[in-house]
Amino acid sequence: MTTASLSGGPEPTARAAVVSLPASARSRVWFQSQTSRRLAFGYLLLAPAALYVLLLVGAPFLFSLYLAVSDANVGEPVAHFIGLENFRSAWEMDTFWIALQNSVVFLVVAAIFKSLLGTSLAFLLLQEFPGKKLIRGLVVIPFTLPVAISVLAWKWMYDSQFSVINWVLSRLGLIGQFGTDAWPIWLGDPHLALAACIAVNVWRTFPFSAIVLLAGFTSVPLEVLDAAKVDGCSFFQRFRHVVAPMIFPILMIGFLFDTVFTLSDLSVVYLLTQGGPANASKILPVLAYQIGIQAGNLGRGAAIALFLVPLLAPAMFLFLRNLRRREY
Amino acid sequence: MSATSTFNRRKFLTAAGAGVAGGSLLTMLEARQAPAQIKGTTLRILQWSHFIPAYDAWYDKFAKEWGDKNGVKVRVDHIPHLEIPARMAAEFAAGAGHDIIYNGSSILTRLYYKNLVDLTDITEAAGKKYGGYIPSAKSLVEVEGRWYGVPLFYILLPMLYRKDLFDANNLKAPDTWELARVAARTMKPKGHPTGIALSQCADANLMWRSCFFSHGGTEATPSGDQPTLDSKELREFLKFAKAIFEEGMTPEVFSWDDASDNRYLASGVACWVHDAISAYRTTEDTNPDVFKNTYIGMEPAGPGGKRINTCAANVWMVWKFAKNQTAAKEFLTHMVDTFSEGMVSSRGYNMPYLNGFAKKPMPVIGTDPKLQILQDFPPIVAFYGYPGPFVTPIQEVVNLFVLPDMFTRVARGQSVEDVMKWGMGEYRRIFAKHKRA
Repeated sequence: MTTASLSGGPEPTARAAVVSLPASARSRVWFQSQTSRRLAFGYLLLAPAALYVLLLVGAPFLFSLYLAVSDANVGEPVAHFIGLENFRSAWEMDTFWIALQNSVVFLVVAAIFKSLLGTSLAFLLLQEFPGKKLIRGLVVIPFTLPVAISVLAWKWMYDSQFSVINWVLSRLGLIGQFGTDAWPIWLGDPHLALAACIAVNVWRTFPFSAIVLLAGFTSVPLEVLDAAKVDGCSFFQRFRHVVAPMIFPILMIGFLFDTVFTLSDLSVVYLLTQGGPANASKILPVLAYQIGIQAGNLGRGAAIALFLVPLLAPAMFLFLRNLRRREY
Repeated sequence: MSATSTFNRRKFLTAAGAGVAGGSLLTMLEARQAPAQIKGTTLRILQWSHFIPAYDAWYDKFAKEWGDKNGVKVRVDHIPHLEIPARMAAEFAAGAGHDIIYNGSSILTRLYYKNLVDLTDITEAAGKKYGGYIPSAKSLVEVEGRWYGVPLFYILLPMLYRKDLFDANNLKAPDTWELARVAARTMKPKGHPTGIALSQCADANLMWRSCFFSHGGTEATPSGDQPTLDSKELREFLKFAKAIFEEGMTPEVFSWDDASDNRYLASGVACWVHDAISAYRTTEDTNPDVFKNTYIGMEPAGPGGKRINTCAANVWMVWKFAKNQTAAKEFLTHMVDTFSEGMVSSRGYNMPYLNGFAKKPMPVIGTDPKLQILQDFPPIVAFYGYPGPFVTPIQEVVNLFVLPDMFTRVARGQSVEDVMKWGMGEYRRIFAKHKRA
């Protein structure tokens, strides 16, 4: 007989086992529970996306922050910290303010036209008509064509001498003859140049808006729309009070992508005008490229590019907050 | 006696050995044979897409033939010249890429020289062999007395004019900028205006500089450390630019790219354009009637008789991290030695920096009566930053199109004083920024 048995309890080792048993059982239970396994599996599925964002978005963003506060240039492997000097330098530039203003105009005007055209196209594609599938395929061509090719085609269409747009308009009597003041110089007039660049950007990307909206429209149950019709709602009332609220998350995501694509679009302006004439169509990505890469001042180029962040961040914040509220 | 005999034998052996080695070296050089160690290696070249496509076809064949002869696998990649700065930045950041890098117009020697192979040995040897370089060549590649690039050719932008139209209007050939202005003023009302790009393109940067420098203007001090734009010459020239635009051009020039003036001449509209001979070649290929009457003139003189032609420079460099530096130097030497072949395949477009290749008659242009005048250009050749070197602030000024924008602003109606204030502000800010860095 042991002392333990004499006192009526188990032996110390056994007691310890009894004491520790519930803890290990709890941890085993937590790891082995259905919830924890689902959670772990969820994180596992999310990991590639998170890694992708960290590596391809987070790391370059942090690197550009580092460049923006340094005197980095393309030929110097070592850069020194210079604080906010690059930002101050950008503020001193007349061209920077023109580019900032143009970027905002570009974003707002392009967004308005893309929304209008995208919505109209999405509604058209919802209708039943022969060759619908073919047309659906064709409308995305501008979005899928390599930007260099499509923009060069537009450059020809905007040519000061051989513009097919001008020749058609001239034949229709809507503008004057070549060589007169009534012959528009699309890429040479300060106002027309920016408008011409915006038009190409809209042409390239509004099919994307249409496809996003189309996906949203097709997800709205027909019964709901029919009920609204029975209640006497007009087309616009149905769109505003039934369709738009139901597809709001999709609209927001589409808008988010579109804002980012438009603000960071370097190719269209660079290939059409390089920002000319006299900076009339200069936007921040083009200026950042010209200073950062072509002139070799990586630090200043990064600082200019980062001015896009204050423009984008509030918009992103509002979109995402609104989206989350709707989800709950 | 015995000592004398030993000395003589040694001397004989040394002399004989040196003779054999020297002879072999000479034979090797004569046959343009590269050292054996490059056999079995790979040489990667980043090259632009030449404005004359036939040159690219020739260049690829030329590089392959050299590679086959020397047992080197040569890979040539062609990209548009405007993309080269971005590619260079990417290769430098990665520390890997091509062995030989081409630079056109925007010469990045001063940005990268710490990471480029010192090519003074081969450029000096070429200079000695071919009678030296034109004076402006070193401003492109020399940093602290060393040459970090091989200047191989530059592109002229002469005056191309319609002789039939000039003759029909009793106008003198545009030998001065004033005569060119009078011609444009006379022929614009008759449907034949002129044009110099007033947009953000390379042609605008080059041509307005030619015109401005010929009017006595300068862009920077000879050392390149200070801008010298704030001058009486620029004020006068801005007035001239405004006048020649209003009298002889149309607003089309605000939208032009580098090929627009080619099309303008080839279409038969322009009375004259100031452009590379690609415009002449385009006209030759597309409009024989206009081509028949298109003549090439000397760079027009400014009011003081000065003539300066701002040219598009072309330079080849070798990365310090290049894996095949020996083959790269051998190939560059071979390119220099065979310059004339390249000039022929470019249809006279490529002009030599080396005086030996600039002797009359030069290939292609020396035998064409209309093109012969181009042989007189080498003494008046200049590059961005004239009379200073192509320093980094000038590179930024060029990439931001500050100088052509000044002329655009004045042509659009801004006052000369406002434009001077804006332009000088930009130059001073950019130069100060680079000085602080």
